[in-house]
Amino acid sequence: MINNDLRIKIVEMVKRSGEGHIPSSFSIVDILNFLYGNILKIDSQNPKWDERDYFILSKGHGCGAFYAVLHKYNFLSDKDIMDYSTKDGILGGHPDMKIVPGAEASTGSLGHGFPTSIGIALGLKIKKKSNRVFALLGDGECHEGTIWESAQVARNLNLGNLCAIIDWNGSASQLMPVDDLPAKWKAFGWNVMVIDGHSEVDLKLAFDGIEAKVDGIPTVIIAKTIKGKGVSFIEGHGKWHHKIPDDKEMKLILEELST
Amino acid sequence: MKKLREEFADLMLSVGDINSELVVLVGDISHGILQPFAKKFPDRYYNVGICEPTIVNMSAGLSKVGLIPVVHTIAPFIIERAYEQIKLDFGYQNLPLNLISVGGAYDYTQLGCSHHCYADVSLMCHIENSCVMMPGSAKEFNKLFLDNYKNGCINYFKLTEFPHSIELKDDQIKLGKGIKIADGKDVTILTVGGILQNAIDARELLIKDNISAEIIYFNTVKPFDNEIVVKSTEKTKRLLTLEELSEHDGLHNLALKALSGKMDFPIKQMAIKGFVSGYGTYKEMQDRAGLSINKIVKKVNEICGEK
Repeated sequence: MINNDLRIKIVEMVKRSGEGHIPSSFSIVDILNFLYGNILKIDSQNPKWDERDYFILSKGHGCGAFYAVLHKYNFLSDKDIMDYSTKDGILGGHPDMKIVPGAEASTGSLGHGFPTSIGIALGLKIKKKSNRVFALLGDGECHEGTIWESAQVARNLNLGNLCAIIDWNGSASQLMPVDDLPAKWKAFGWNVMVIDGHSEVDLKLAFDGIEAKVDGIPTVIIAKTIKGKGVSFIEGHGKWHHKIPDDKEMKLILEELST
Repeated sequence: MKKLREEFADLMLSVGDINSELVVLVGDISHGILQPFAKKFPDRYYNVGICEPTIVNMSAGLSKVGLIPVVHTIAPFIIERAYEQIKLDFGYQNLPLNLISVGGAYDYTQLGCSHHCYADVSLMCHIENSCVMMPGSAKEFNKLFLDNYKNGCINYFKLTEFPHSIELKDDQIKLGKGIKIADGKDVTILTVGGILQNAIDARELLIKDNISAEIIYFNTVKPFDNEIVVKSTEKTKRLLTLEELSEHDGLHNLALKALSGKMDFPIKQMAIKGFVSGYGTYKEMQDRAGLSINKIVKKVNEICGEK
């Protein structure tokens, strides 16, 4: 499953504005597209619908994928995408929930979106509501202390309405490896699934397999992904993390994504 | 004299009864005294853990779904340790919150500097949409909380362990209003919170030195009552500020701001006033913040024109 149409949209946004994290977006775009297309209970015409499921992009720098998917599912207009990261736009290098339809948290500083999702899940539980909460985290983000504080809190409060998804693209391994992520989450008492984050079959099996209960054990889906997935010379780690393609590179990227 | 922490426990119980949206989260502080609330409203009381940044951060989620979070622990842990959470998860996202601390300044007199906090009030003033209160008595806390806990703002109530002994009238206690405690003609003493007591005691001693001190007291630092400062100092022409807050900010600076334009020479400030939202180039962001070259030229012209 390669959502190349969405990848092209991402890279065009970044090229046009001169801002963005292409590889971090490419690693999560398949997960987001699956979630929005198959799992989340949402209404693009009423983004603040009381009965909606909540999605929080905790690794806010992956917002290129988030915006492309929000556009595909009619939360954002063509103009919103064209104005990405410009003076007149509502879309920046990290999402601002006050102005972006469908964004539930203003993330960017790592380790904030996930604790917010814990509070939303607890609030829904207090209000005896059945909405579900999904939060997408980076594996590098799992260096942050608040992630593990929150993991303990969510388990202790039995937030079965909460699902964390880890974009396990190996970013963390460049500086402080967390290669035993599944064991760590298991040790914190969560239901743990490990999948291929680019496989529609795996994503379906994982999300269908969650027993969502207002009072229960929270689930984490640890999705093995490839940073920069979809373009051979962007894949992996290094200079492309926050790089803007020049015209020649742009041509090569579009060629690869169009085949 | 009723302790502010006792008032806190009683208030939560009474407000919890009338407002089913009130949720109390603590970091193992005041857990014992809050038991009546915890027992009566078990699904609205959480002794979350020793993880203050997460307690504050998750409260943003509660606020987002329409509940009214009250977060409580010791001042250095709730404000200084969790400051980025307050700044981003509430300030940036413009979500309401009630933060209630104990143990500010050196109130934990025997526990050392790890439990002290002198910058909390200043830090909270930087947060957009915040109201910063330092009630010096249980009665003031009661009134200020009831008046403001659902005002849509980020409220900070700094509770002193050492209340003053002055009995204030209900109508004197109001967010953003200073209170004249004593008349005087030689010097104005501005003070905030429980240390009012020292100002009153000092005033008595000063009478023997033929000095008549006027005492102006604040239980709210933001919004600040500029008018009462101007009025008093116009009369006394001398000013002393007295506060259990860091010298680098707080009441003294607020007083200087209050007197800006009222003294013998103009004083203006150009600074960042809140979040500089939006995107664009550096110059565009500077312009949005009001700090562009053109705006500096305009401001200097204004200052020179006042001479």
